Amino acid sequence: MAIQVKVLERPIRQTSYVRAMLKGMAITFKHLTNPHKVTWQYPEQKWDLSPRWRGTHRMLTDENGKAKCVACGLCPQICPANCIKLVPGEDEEGNRYPLVYEIDEFRCIFCGYCQEVCPEEAIHVGRHYENSEYSRAGFVYDLERLMAQTHPVCEMWDPADPRGE
Amino acid sequence: MNTYAALMLFQHAYDPQAPVHGAPWLWFSIIKILVVFTVLMVTIAYLTLAERKISAWIQDRHGPNRVGPRGLAQPLADGLKNIMKEETYPSAAYSPLFILAPVMSFIPALITFAVIPFAAPLPTPWGLVDMSIADLPVGFLYILAIASLGVYGIVLAGWSSNNKYALLGGLRSSAQMVSYEVSMGLAVVAVLLLSGNVSLSSIVASQVATGWYFFPLLIGFFLFLVAAFAETNRLPFDLPEAESELIAGYHTEYSSMKFSMFFIAEYSNMTTASARLTTLFFGGWAVPFWTTVDTAPWHWWKTVITLVCFMIKTGFFLFLYMWIRWTLPRFRYDQLMSVGWKVMLPIALCYLVVMAGAILALDAAGVAPSARFGDFVPTYWAILGVLNIVLAVLVFVVLDRGRLVSPASARVGPSELAELRAMATRGPAPAQGD
Amino acid sequence: MADAQQVSLTIEGRQVNVPAGTSILEAAKTVGVLIPHYCYHPGLSIVGNCRMCQVEVEKMPKLAPACQTAVAEGQVVHVYADRALTARKAVLEFLLINHPLDCPICDKSGECELQDYTYREGRAVGRLQDPKRFNPAEDFGGDVQYVTNRCILCTRCVRFMDEVAQDTVLNVSERGDRAVIGKFEGKDLTHPWAANIIDLCPVGALLSKDFLNKSRAWELDRTASVCPNCTQGCNTILETRDNMVVRMRPRSNLDVNHYYLCDEGRLDYRWMNRTDRLEAPLVRRGDRLAATAWDDALRAAALHLNGKRAFVLASPMLSNESLWVLSRIMKHGGGAGGFRVRREPEAPLPGVPDLARRAERAANVRAAELFGFVKSDMPLAGMQEGDVLIVADHEVAAADAPALAKASAVIVIGTTMPELVSNAMVALPSTNVAEEDGTFTNLRGRVQQYRQARAAPGMSRPVWWSGGDLLVFLGERAGYYIASEAFAALAAQQPEFAGMSYDSLGFRGQVLAGQPVAAGGAAR
Repeated sequence: MAIQVKVLERPIRQTSYVRAMLKGMAITFKHLTNPHKVTWQYPEQKWDLSPRWRGTHRMLTDENGKAKCVACGLCPQICPANCIKLVPGEDEEGNRYPLVYEIDEFRCIFCGYCQEVCPEEAIHVGRHYENSEYSRAGFVYDLERLMAQTHPVCEMWDPADPRGE
Repeated sequence: MNTYAALMLFQHAYDPQAPVHGAPWLWFSIIKILVVFTVLMVTIAYLTLAERKISAWIQDRHGPNRVGPRGLAQPLADGLKNIMKEETYPSAAYSPLFILAPVMSFIPALITFAVIPFAAPLPTPWGLVDMSIADLPVGFLYILAIASLGVYGIVLAGWSSNNKYALLGGLRSSAQMVSYEVSMGLAVVAVLLLSGNVSLSSIVASQVATGWYFFPLLIGFFLFLVAAFAETNRLPFDLPEAESELIAGYHTEYSSMKFSMFFIAEYSNMTTASARLTTLFFGGWAVPFWTTVDTAPWHWWKTVITLVCFMIKTGFFLFLYMWIRWTLPRFRYDQLMSVGWKVMLPIALCYLVVMAGAILALDAAGVAPSARFGDFVPTYWAILGVLNIVLAVLVFVVLDRGRLVSPASARVGPSELAELRAMATRGPAPAQGD
Repeated sequence: MADAQQVSLTIEGRQVNVPAGTSILEAAKTVGVLIPHYCYHPGLSIVGNCRMCQVEVEKMPKLAPACQTAVAEGQVVHVYADRALTARKAVLEFLLINHPLDCPICDKSGECELQDYTYREGRAVGRLQDPKRFNPAEDFGGDVQYVTNRCILCTRCVRFMDEVAQDTVLNVSERGDRAVIGKFEGKDLTHPWAANIIDLCPVGALLSKDFLNKSRAWELDRTASVCPNCTQGCNTILETRDNMVVRMRPRSNLDVNHYYLCDEGRLDYRWMNRTDRLEAPLVRRGDRLAATAWDDALRAAALHLNGKRAFVLASPMLSNESLWVLSRIMKHGGGAGGFRVRREPEAPLPGVPDLARRAERAANVRAAELFGFVKSDMPLAGMQEGDVLIVADHEVAAADAPALAKASAVIVIGTTMPELVSNAMVALPSTNVAEEDGTFTNLRGRVQQYRQARAAPGMSRPVWWSGGDLLVFLGERAGYYIASEAFAALAAQQPEFAGMSYDSLGFRGQVLAGQPVAAGGAAR
């Protein structure tokens, strides 16, 4: 079968290089003089995050200031990136609590499954994006650090209210 | 009294309206070299900022605005960064040439500026100082000669890096330079025909006398402009660099100051090319519609005004460079070659013949170059201009139908094209479905 | 049983042939249909009180409890009939009326039958609005913690203590929705097999105090193993998390331990995680032992052994393969060997024939004796002046010290360095039962294999490997690199093991050739 090539008989305004060039230059000049610029002046001007934004984690605490986590082990289980390390233990009152709870934010893919699976509404992904550290180790957030975070947390998608109204 | 007597003696010894000579000439030359070099380097530094700013504005952005007020210290930061960066030497590179190459592209780019007259002569107590570093009698040939030297740096950089992309960049650069140098030279011959002299200061002087050459030599100006873009490897002719195809072309393997030197060379080539365009076609430092400033007797304020005028004109061309860079996409290699050899060269040759004939005809008709029609319009100038406009219409309207810069289909011969068209009108093959 | 009458029936469209008298539930298991159940356990009497195993049987007017209904010729059983599903869903809903939804903090979560069946057949959302019953948790003694709220009163634990342990401690106290499992006055779960009720409990009501909050069920890696703690050779599952053994549970083998494992055995696993291990082969250089490569250490050991009589002090905890290789080293120079075994009182499980926590607390006494090692309280008595003593993972007691001095050289092969041995010339690191593949021979002559559950530390190798290499250095044909290879060589040379291989052993084991069939379950 022959290859089909479409060859168009095009009008001069489409084939003229000089015309196209001048037209292009007129457009760029128009933009050059346009005072409206689209750049966000980042540190001064900040993005309004969606309520469903998923950023670095935060561990919520109960009224006694202890982590709500009961070390049930669901978040390390559901985590697709395998970034949560959890060692369960027992506190002095005999309650189950996380002896070690670490999230490697570098490995994390911010899917939010941990928040979704958490039966105690303890671990949350946060509406937060400004993370920087001087070392890789700094991105392994331990329980203390997760509890100390203060940024707002993500509101997960609610199937009953799909548009978040 | 003694001082006054000395001053009088001084004045007798040196006439401010006569060219400076002797030891002061040497001192003035050195001062001019230092000043021009410094100004040029600062200009280049700020051209990088201008480039980024203009590109940003064209793309509806702000551009660099963090270093210093409104980003004005950005070139400083860039320069500092480039000095602090690590120098890399590819192990497989041929290091003598690898190190020499940036120098070889850097120096020709700078020394071209030596012959450009950038202002009206400055009268001093020691005599009249030419506002060009060296007003060579063959200034124009010097420019052509030096401009083609710059390509050696690029070719050697590409070859000595021992990197396939760099080598391709270097090859393209040499091919491009060869292709466009011819048309450039031919386009400028018309200027020489008109001015009758190859010294740049005389070319400026004759433009002051008879009107700027861009109008009577419109096609030549256009050819020269295109060739100048090609010679400086600026878009749409930046094939040697072609970051989307060749990573960074000939300077792929370069870092730190060696890379910086290529960068400086590019911008200084741009500056020089703009200055050349100004000098050859836009009257150099001449101020339009103000003949008093452009002619003797000279005075320091005339020098200042003409210098500003020269800077404005050069600046305009620099802006044009950037404007075009951020507007036009890069040519394909085959388009580059076909524009160079199949469009530019024939047009330049024909143009030369036509212009030579026209000038001959005008001379035979006894029209003096300085004659004016009415009181203002130079006759010679106007007649050639009208002729050029006619030619321009011919070139840009008649010729520019997919032939100046051809689409891929133009590579197909006319018979094959007819066949393809016939196939297209026959409609799709039955098996193809829709 | 073989001549019992066969009955054929259809379960979920599949043809089943089972002996008469089998329950529908067991018959369904044979074709891969698991009928949900709580109170039924194959090792216990049938009570049919959970009502979870109800299935529809054609021509029966009501749903039949599968655990209690014997199969009949031509029966057609529908496990997933709508009626049966509805009934089971209702049962689950009733169970969940008082069962707390504390799965996140429940150790059973992940291996809980209530969880599994609710997920499979239960309601997604509970309908009950009223508060749940609450009772405090109770310590049942032994290793057992009773979390009253989670109990679904299947009474498996009560029946186990009554019928199998035959030590009536547990009962169902109170009535109606107040009913809980209680202990009889003055009694406690002190029976040496009592912790089996933890495994029997289908929910998280009876928990191991030892395992409490240690790990989630789904994080464990499970490996088939054999309990090394006495000569009974109960089949076990070693459960590891992050390369650490965290739990040992019984694995059913009707020929040995049925479904059970004694308390002492199940809790005696911590030594498998010891960290103070020999990790590299050591060779004496002056007054200290220096780490070296395997070949160097083996060459040094071979030099010491060359032309000398070897006396091998071999631990009865070693595998058949290892002991056999050691016996070859022993016989190489015409040497001898011995071992000592710790003895404790025997603790039988009355409900199962021939199952007890045996007096001799080591896995492989039988094989050690078979391969010529002499059982003795003073095993070094047979050592002669100038022998090379090989201490193979055997503890050295203070009483052995005088005999140590008689040795011309001491070579240690073991997981750790014995404290009392100060003059070892060579030390070869070895693996323990959790870190190697191997076989044990139990006191009834049953050869059973176990699998590697955790990574061996450092450069340590099983004794059959390092010992085989040592034999090569001594000029014998040996050198085994996988356990089955060593076992094949053993089977080829020892007539008692003739015809055995890892494949034929499977996970039930085989009895040594010429072995009288024991009175117990070995008949199968």
